[in-house]
Amino acid sequence: MLSVIVSGLAVGAVYVITALIYNLMYSTSKVLSVTTGHICMLGGVFGAWFTTVLGWPVLPALLGAVAIGTLFGVVTELVAVRRVLARSDEHLWLLSTLALATMTQQAVGLWWGTEPRRFPRVIPQDFSHGAADQKFWLPIGVMVVAALGLELFYRRTMWGKLFQATSEDAFAARARGISTDRVRMMSYAISGALGGLGGFAAGQLTFAYFALGLTLTLNGFIAIAVGGLGSSVGALVGGLALGLLSAFATYLFGGEFQQTIAVGLLMLVLLIRPEGLFGARGVRAV
Amino acid sequence: MRHLVQAIALACCSVLATAGSSAMAQETVRIGWLSSLTGPLSSAAIAENQGVVFAVDEINKAGGILGRKVELLTRDTAGDPVKAVNLAQQLVFADKAQFIIGPVNSGEALATVPSLARAGIPNIIIGSLDELTNPAKYPLAFRTINTNTQWIAAANAYAIDVLKRRKVAIIGDTSGYGTASAKAAAALLAKAGITPVYSVLVDPNKTDLTDEMTKARAAGADVVMPWSAATGLCARLLNTRGDMGWDVPIVGHPSVMALPLKALLNKPSYWGNTFAAGYVSTTYRDGKLPERTQALMDAVKPALGGEIGFTFWWVALGYDSMKLVVYAATKADSLDPQKIKDALEHTSDYAGVYGTYSWSPTEHNGFPDSGMAMDSADTFNEGSYQAAPR
Repeated sequence: MLSVIVSGLAVGAVYVITALIYNLMYSTSKVLSVTTGHICMLGGVFGAWFTTVLGWPVLPALLGAVAIGTLFGVVTELVAVRRVLARSDEHLWLLSTLALATMTQQAVGLWWGTEPRRFPRVIPQDFSHGAADQKFWLPIGVMVVAALGLELFYRRTMWGKLFQATSEDAFAARARGISTDRVRMMSYAISGALGGLGGFAAGQLTFAYFALGLTLTLNGFIAIAVGGLGSSVGALVGGLALGLLSAFATYLFGGEFQQTIAVGLLMLVLLIRPEGLFGARGVRAV
Repeated sequence: MRHLVQAIALACCSVLATAGSSAMAQETVRIGWLSSLTGPLSSAAIAENQGVVFAVDEINKAGGILGRKVELLTRDTAGDPVKAVNLAQQLVFADKAQFIIGPVNSGEALATVPSLARAGIPNIIIGSLDELTNPAKYPLAFRTINTNTQWIAAANAYAIDVLKRRKVAIIGDTSGYGTASAKAAAALLAKAGITPVYSVLVDPNKTDLTDEMTKARAAGADVVMPWSAATGLCARLLNTRGDMGWDVPIVGHPSVMALPLKALLNKPSYWGNTFAAGYVSTTYRDGKLPERTQALMDAVKPALGGEIGFTFWWVALGYDSMKLVVYAATKADSLDPQKIKDALEHTSDYAGVYGTYSWSPTEHNGFPDSGMAMDSADTFNEGSYQAAPR
């Protein structure tokens, strides 16, 4: 039973990280980018490439994975978001980010291969530790650090306040002299860095696998929809609940019910609280 | 009047152009090759493609089919059944292919086989799902690969008759293939009077199998039989068994001995005590491979850079499937689909590399049970394996 809980928490932690990235990107652009899970995938694949193919030590490989994630975040903003938002109020970003995500996945598949590949041990540890294995605790640790770090960032830094101002009312923020384009670019860069870090931390759990992105994009979305868009606490609760429910559903009923439970949870929450458990209820001035 | 002359001239040009392109088409035998060369299921397809391309070169150097060169029309389905159907239609109606080989994966073939049957094009099946052949429904579809049932039967027989295990745990994945295979495995075991002590389906991307393996051990399992084509899942299964320190044998799908799995293992020793259904043609006996396999391997090796880093039976299967087209057309002395059908339905012991095939009017699965073997997973050597201990 302990292993069910720990593996559910670890998988849930990856969903939380993905959900936090959704929040970060959404706060400044009102875009739910399909590339969200692909950032984590790139962190895992490039982390494995740096270490197992190029032979880099762990720390430079980690920094490299974060750099790749950051770069991809910036590319997402420049290619799939900025120009679309500038030309249309419609939700065309869904198509542009889907296109970028698909191209990225295909490119990685062609370059890296379509079979999952090994991710090396990050910390020296043998394989006899069961639930205390680093493959579980690394993503959980990164989740905690990321959630706390983002809260501090939002509350204690000027950039964090700029994010919040842009999120509240981009038009008013622009009127106050805030460069919302630059703020949005910064949010995508931070999202990319977080995704690269998360993908690297989860690499031993997920292997370095080109098709991981879409799974994380979907489950991260479910987590944020359940927890409430824009809320870090919601991302935490939604992601962990999804991970644990999936683990227990498989344990108790078998794997064929895993996705049913996940999507069922989403439907249930959306029926009862459409704004999510911790989301702000939309109020329209009349 | 001038318009009339122009129209007639244009019509004449069109007719001449059409006749010209028909003549061009008649110069070659056009063979469609539906293969998932990219996408999540590409490993086997890439290896099969090596065999197909090599066979086409050989055929053309030897004068082609009935004196006509072979034109290979390769189409990448990317593992997508919808794409596979569209490409199959394109090959038949636009490219005028006279034979179709593939698609590689059963899921794609389930979608293409009925449409190719309607189009009346001979189709060499290289997907293992049993439902893909049916002489009544798909009269022009002939299978070269073994059926899924043959894989399962070989593994079950090894677990029960050789290892003398009766407490079976079946672990399948939730894909269509995994689910169907796990059910078929349980049904075959039931015929032998065995009810699995534990049976479960898991998501192919599930990150940890500790619970499943712990439950299997608690249920008293003395053999674990995985039915999944997902390399990652098979690797996690072996890692979990190794990390648990459980020495239970794992017997099942060929994926447990695929080379990419080796790199995913926590320790190389975790691959021991693992056995999978393989083939006589790619199993070493007394350190040697069958003559035909060795000959093909020697011939193909230079083109592969002198090293074979994938299971060689895929290459042999691709090679045989292409060569079968030559055999059928030569025997029928025609490319007419009905004559091809008659020729194949009266084929007994056609000697290929991958196997020795026989088809009849009531049986379109050509691979014999005697061509199956059980191999030790951790003995990979140049695409082939050592036989499992008996």
